[in-house]
Amino acid sequence: MRVNIRQAIIIGAPSHNDKAADIFIENGVITAIAPAIDKKADVVVAAEGLHVSAGWVDVFADYREPGYEHKETISSGLNAAAAGGFTDVFLTPNTEPVAAGKSVIQYILQKAQGHTTSVHPLGAVSQNAEGKVLAEMLDMHTHGAIAFTDGWKPVQNTNLFLKALEYAKAFNGVLLQIPVDNSLASGGLMHEGTVSTRLGMAGIPTLAETLFVHRDIELLRYTNGRLHITGLSSAESVAMIRRAKADGLDVTCSVTPYHLALTDEALAGYDSLYKVSPPLRTEADRQALIVGLADGTIDCIATHHRPHEWDAKAKEYEYAADGMNIQEVAFNVLLQATGNQVALGTLINALTTNPRRIFGLQQPVIAEGSPASLTLFSRYGDTVINRENKRSAGYNNPFAGILLPGSVIGIINNNNIHLNK
Amino acid sequence: MSLSVKHLLGIKELQQQDIEQIFQTADNFKQVLQRSIRKVPALRDTTIVNLFFENSTRTRISFELAEKRLSADTVNFSSSGSSVSKGETLIDTVKNILSMKVDMIVMRHSASGAPWFLAKHVDASIINAGDGTNEHPTQALLDAYSIREQLGSLKGKRVTIIGDIMHSRVALSNIFCLSKLGAEVTVSGPPTLIPKHIQDLGVRVEYDVKKALEWCDVANVLRIQLERQHKPLFSTLREYAIYYGVNKQMLESLQRDIIIMHPGPINRGVEINSDVADSKHSIILNQVENGVAIRMAVIYLLSGKRDLVD
Repeated sequence: MRVNIRQAIIIGAPSHNDKAADIFIENGVITAIAPAIDKKADVVVAAEGLHVSAGWVDVFADYREPGYEHKETISSGLNAAAAGGFTDVFLTPNTEPVAAGKSVIQYILQKAQGHTTSVHPLGAVSQNAEGKVLAEMLDMHTHGAIAFTDGWKPVQNTNLFLKALEYAKAFNGVLLQIPVDNSLASGGLMHEGTVSTRLGMAGIPTLAETLFVHRDIELLRYTNGRLHITGLSSAESVAMIRRAKADGLDVTCSVTPYHLALTDEALAGYDSLYKVSPPLRTEADRQALIVGLADGTIDCIATHHRPHEWDAKAKEYEYAADGMNIQEVAFNVLLQATGNQVALGTLINALTTNPRRIFGLQQPVIAEGSPASLTLFSRYGDTVINRENKRSAGYNNPFAGILLPGSVIGIINNNNIHLNK
Repeated sequence: MSLSVKHLLGIKELQQQDIEQIFQTADNFKQVLQRSIRKVPALRDTTIVNLFFENSTRTRISFELAEKRLSADTVNFSSSGSSVSKGETLIDTVKNILSMKVDMIVMRHSASGAPWFLAKHVDASIINAGDGTNEHPTQALLDAYSIREQLGSLKGKRVTIIGDIMHSRVALSNIFCLSKLGAEVTVSGPPTLIPKHIQDLGVRVEYDVKKALEWCDVANVLRIQLERQHKPLFSTLREYAIYYGVNKQMLESLQRDIIIMHPGPINRGVEINSDVADSKHSIILNQVENGVAIRMAVIYLLSGKRDLVD
């Protein structure tokens, strides 16, 4: 198949960086980049304000196959990812059985074959993600696990996490952790602050996060391992990671689109669509996260895409499931949240070069002769995802039906093309 | 005249005029309750369901009496624990009941915000009879009404709320209600039972109960939940009773008389001693009496009926 991308501003190309050019792709390989290419193509892509970058990476998302296919299958999830502009998705081990051994890792990789978006499974740190005994991380690494995490059940046992950081050094493995001290967070329903007090809801103090950011940074200092903290929600966490990086530690981190976009005020109506873990915090926290992304303290975007069936959310807030179905609108929410505060190049780096560098994925080159792994997008245009046009199997997208800025035109990857509309 | 809201979900959503209007309507109903025939026909052909997903005796009886005095038909539904544990969702439970042509819902629920959630999914008017650790609006209304009855107006009056502020929907609704009516509020109790950010709601915090009593015109003493002992929130009931309980000796040491309130049920000898609960300072039984008139007023005003008795 021949694709001609017309007059796209190319971000990160060795030859035509930040300039408009035509890109010609034949059978998944870039064959020409020039100011104007007038060759016959099967597909011609043109759009107002069209940009092209290396394909985007989401370093933390839930698809629930095997085990919870009613929430999201690998197939429905990958379709959502493609619509959201992601060529590469890291999947949490939040499956049944838990991806804590090579068989589930291989199953996930095999299920993802043939899709435009590539899957990179995250293996569990501990057996059954129970936080007690180390899982076979080396074997999972050998069979395609990209990094390791117990997902939504961060490792509470300090000694186990220390040993995991040490153990993974043998293969240069990275551990991902959501920083939550369960003994402080349990029973909490939202960020502890003025809003939770007004709403009469039990709070999750920022301390539940900062204690674990501090703990894990100190464990990293001791072990010299590799740590990626994901789902930062507070200003204090950003400051701590900024200091740890200045100390020369190999710590990196990621933020969700929704922590950049929303605050605890979103919970004023007790709407469970905004129930997420870690919780939405204050405007000061949100601003600090945006600054952290802009100055490079925050390396990556992690959607924390967590799809659920309608019934899991259509209940009393306290009983509703955590998480947001957001992969399809992640870019639009990022644009809306960051506005002019984060340079487009910085945002794209957080979606492309940074995650690939941290997790050891090959960097796609936008040059003649290179395989095409591209995301096509525009800051112009509007996007509305609703029940009719959504790809995800989940129903818990609070941005559904809302007009959002920007548009993802499509992706080209694995010798496939996905175009929205 | 009608209220600015369709439901009574919480005091936080009411305007001051709403509260005044509820009080004026309650004044009328309180007179009705003194008559030989303590019943008005206002809500004939209105059906109200009392949905209690959490144990309650006095609130449920008070609501039921208020409904009957208004000539409404009533249905009671009680279930300990949440609807979830029964396998049916809250929406399903309520929609099933509403399809039998029920006009209004009174609901108590263990989850904060449950009435707000329900209001988004059903058409009927909802009265919150207590949700989790959030609000108990009719209790706050009857408390403020009872203070108004004793002191004339709430404006500038000082009210101390003592006890487990953290888990108390009575405290939160009282804070909103009293503030909207111009009273000043202090909360008092062990620091572990006072929310860290409570001052953001415009109240004072005083850990020393004696000082909090010296400051106030009215003390509202909250029930201490016995099961809180087992969480690391305070040590023993003995220590609580000695340092945070209100007793006669304490009241007599004050410069002036203050009014003592309690939303019930009382743990005698823990948060309040019998020599206080049964004393002339106490208006605990007035609160209970006023509860019926206040609930009649709320139900009546939300029903949209216009033919109020003279």
